Amino acid sequence: MELEKLGLTEEELFSHVDHSALESEKIVAPRYSYWRSVFRVFFRKKINIFVLTLLGLLIAFAYIYPSLVDYDPFANLMDPASKHLSPAAAMAYFGKDLQWILGAGASGESTFDAIWNGSRISISLALVCGAINMTVGVIIGSIWGFSKRVDAFMTEVYNIVGNIPQILLISVMAMLFAPNFWTMVFALTVIGWLFIAYFIRTQVVIIRDREYNLASKCLGTSTVKIAMKNILPFMTSVIVTLLATEIPSYISYEVFLSYIGLGMSDMSLGRLIYQAESAMVTPGWEMEFWSPVAIASIITVVLYVVGQNLGDASDPRTHM
Amino acid sequence: MGKYVVKRLLHGLISIICVVLIVMLLIYSLLDRNKVFSGDPNYNHTASNNRVTYEQSRLEDFGYLDYVPYADYVNLLALEGEIDEETRAAAVQIGRTADADSEITAEYVAKFTEYYESKGYKIQRLDADAKRNGQLRDGGQPQLFASRDIPLLQRAVDYFTKMFFVDNIHYVPDYIDMGKRGLTFTLFDPTKNPEGASKKVFSPAIIGNGTKHKYLLYFDENFPYFHQNLLTLNLGESYTVNRGVDVFTTMTEPQGAYVLSSVTYPTGVTVDRADNLHTATYVQGSLNATASNAEWFTDDYTNVITNKKGMSKLGYSFVIGIISTILAYVLGLPIGLAMALRKDKLLDKIGTFYVMFIIAVPSLAYIFLFKALGGKAGLPTLFDMDSTDKLMYILPIVSLALPSIANLMKWMRRYMIDQMNSDYVKFARSGGLSEGEIFTKHVWKNALIPIVHGIPGSVLGAMTGAIITERVYVVPGAGNLLTQAINRYDNGVIVGVTLFYAVLSVLSIILGDVLMAAVDPRISFTTKDR
Repeated sequence: MELEKLGLTEEELFSHVDHSALESEKIVAPRYSYWRSVFRVFFRKKINIFVLTLLGLLIAFAYIYPSLVDYDPFANLMDPASKHLSPAAAMAYFGKDLQWILGAGASGESTFDAIWNGSRISISLALVCGAINMTVGVIIGSIWGFSKRVDAFMTEVYNIVGNIPQILLISVMAMLFAPNFWTMVFALTVIGWLFIAYFIRTQVVIIRDREYNLASKCLGTSTVKIAMKNILPFMTSVIVTLLATEIPSYISYEVFLSYIGLGMSDMSLGRLIYQAESAMVTPGWEMEFWSPVAIASIITVVLYVVGQNLGDASDPRTHM
Repeated sequence: MGKYVVKRLLHGLISIICVVLIVMLLIYSLLDRNKVFSGDPNYNHTASNNRVTYEQSRLEDFGYLDYVPYADYVNLLALEGEIDEETRAAAVQIGRTADADSEITAEYVAKFTEYYESKGYKIQRLDADAKRNGQLRDGGQPQLFASRDIPLLQRAVDYFTKMFFVDNIHYVPDYIDMGKRGLTFTLFDPTKNPEGASKKVFSPAIIGNGTKHKYLLYFDENFPYFHQNLLTLNLGESYTVNRGVDVFTTMTEPQGAYVLSSVTYPTGVTVDRADNLHTATYVQGSLNATASNAEWFTDDYTNVITNKKGMSKLGYSFVIGIISTILAYVLGLPIGLAMALRKDKLLDKIGTFYVMFIIAVPSLAYIFLFKALGGKAGLPTLFDMDSTDKLMYILPIVSLALPSIANLMKWMRRYMIDQMNSDYVKFARSGGLSEGEIFTKHVWKNALIPIVHGIPGSVLGAMTGAIITERVYVVPGAGNLLTQAINRYDNGVIVGVTLFYAVLSVLSIILGDVLMAAVDPRISFTTKDR
């Protein structure tokens, strides 16, 4: 731009700025908020919006839907014509309703309702176990990784406890207490945290002796500050990724335990699958078996994908 | 290195002992022992005092306690020759109440009480349970017995000291008269040279009398041709799963249909049966227990294992496991490599999707899916031991291999990408090496090192069997042994199988470290502070 055209003198246009030692040390960078960046990166991928919607839908069906319909598995117990109906037959028998879209089960109950009821129990189990195991595991794992004395002791504990068959432990728990929801939680968490702690310990050991931490230590930073400012940010993505594999794995494990007859007494997804196993090979009854299997798979896949992508997004290196 | 391995092995041994202790504590102390009666049909047929003694003897069978009825004590005294038959007959009769005992009974009851109380037993005397008219109720006979819970430490010490059994001529209790005890060496195995045979077959064997096994060393036509019974492994006796048989034998003995052949028994009788006479073990008084034993055998070594067509539990699990492991390495590693080399291309995306599918979907779901698909394709979906059809192995192997393939793909891809981003690769590239050279000379060797660590684990792990796969396809493998034992309260099997698993897992970690050190010269466990 031609300065002359403005019709202003040089004094009016410019003013002299004194050298400021303080200002010259300032580094200007765009405002950065960690969690805002995480969500920006997360929602950049279109698939995440889709998967998140699906997850919302699944949770709504699992937690809100059962309270809207009055589900009673034994309501049609005395009605022999209502048992083992294919979707079409169930619709014809009970009338067209969302409830009968997957047919009727062994005691004339709606498979659709049974699945969401089971999903609620399974998802709750996974979330509760995940929360307990992750909290305990991360805290103990960090101490385990930091302290060499704790490391020697805990590694021995890990070698011993890790060799006790989990199935044995769970069946002992199931026999000691009633095989209900909280017993299952206890059985899955009583040594479950140890494996997470071991994983975290390995991660901490890897980062602990990195040069920047040594430098930080030499400059006199306290251990707590190193843990909070240097190591925790690095661990966030690892923890989220781990959570993404852990939560679906509890659902899978519950299905597995129910299948071998060690499950809980509540009608979880695993128990539904276990009870419908004989229906798989009976022509016309396949839906009873495959629909809980399919829903269990969808729930675990959705949880896994959300967790993995959230884990990717929470890695600061992807925030560029 | 050797010193290091020995140290690790010792550490492992301690871990294993602790595991066994914890498992014993879990099953013998924490579990409700009365559960063993819940599925027992005989339990409800017993009543009154008999129910108490029945409970005691069953609990002894399950390994919870030591139980000695008074009659056994007196009979043993008679067998050992301390008292004569007349005293025995008089002393064994106990009165309806303690006051009603005869003089001689009272004397031996006092001895019994003193002897067992000093050993920490609890003596219980149940007075006769009589109706008002003086008649005894069903099972209401007076009872006297001593019992005690086996202390955990003693149980563990017993277990580990009896684990290796060295056969000796004093195995059969000394008070039993069985002729001259000792070992005899023969060049002509009697099972192959029946009396009166015209041609002698050369086959050396060592035969024992007074030992547990009759044949201590022998040759036969089964792999590995030379067999020994001098040192046997006892991992714990089964009670419900495979009654009276050791866990290790349960896992390794053949299953399926009998293989009949003409067997010439020691008496010279030849019958078409499946008995393997070389496996004869001593059972007291068995010679005259059945008519056929008396006809065929000449001594109490009558308990024989039968020849069967199928493989053992361990055998089936191992065959399926090892093939699927090999398949997993052969397929998983190259695919993982290819994915890393074509990162973010189509192959990588398909592979990542597959890995995600396997991790996220419950294993039960995809195993059933493959069973259904395989069934549609005409493959046999159920395992049949007596069939020679090799096709029935396909689905279990595929079901086992799929997750291992996904796992190896995931890690191979991860390690490759990590290596390709490392500084030495950038340096090599700037030094002018071609991508192919970098790959074949540097990257894949480094990426393979952590993979090598897992190989012993996968090979040994193949033996433990897979619970779901074996259940879904009805494979008679070792994978279900633990769940079976838990469901049937077979404590001996639970301990034995746990020990077996623990040994395998400890060994595979140590072997993995050794193998890794062998492959990568940079890794050394001998120098301190690596």
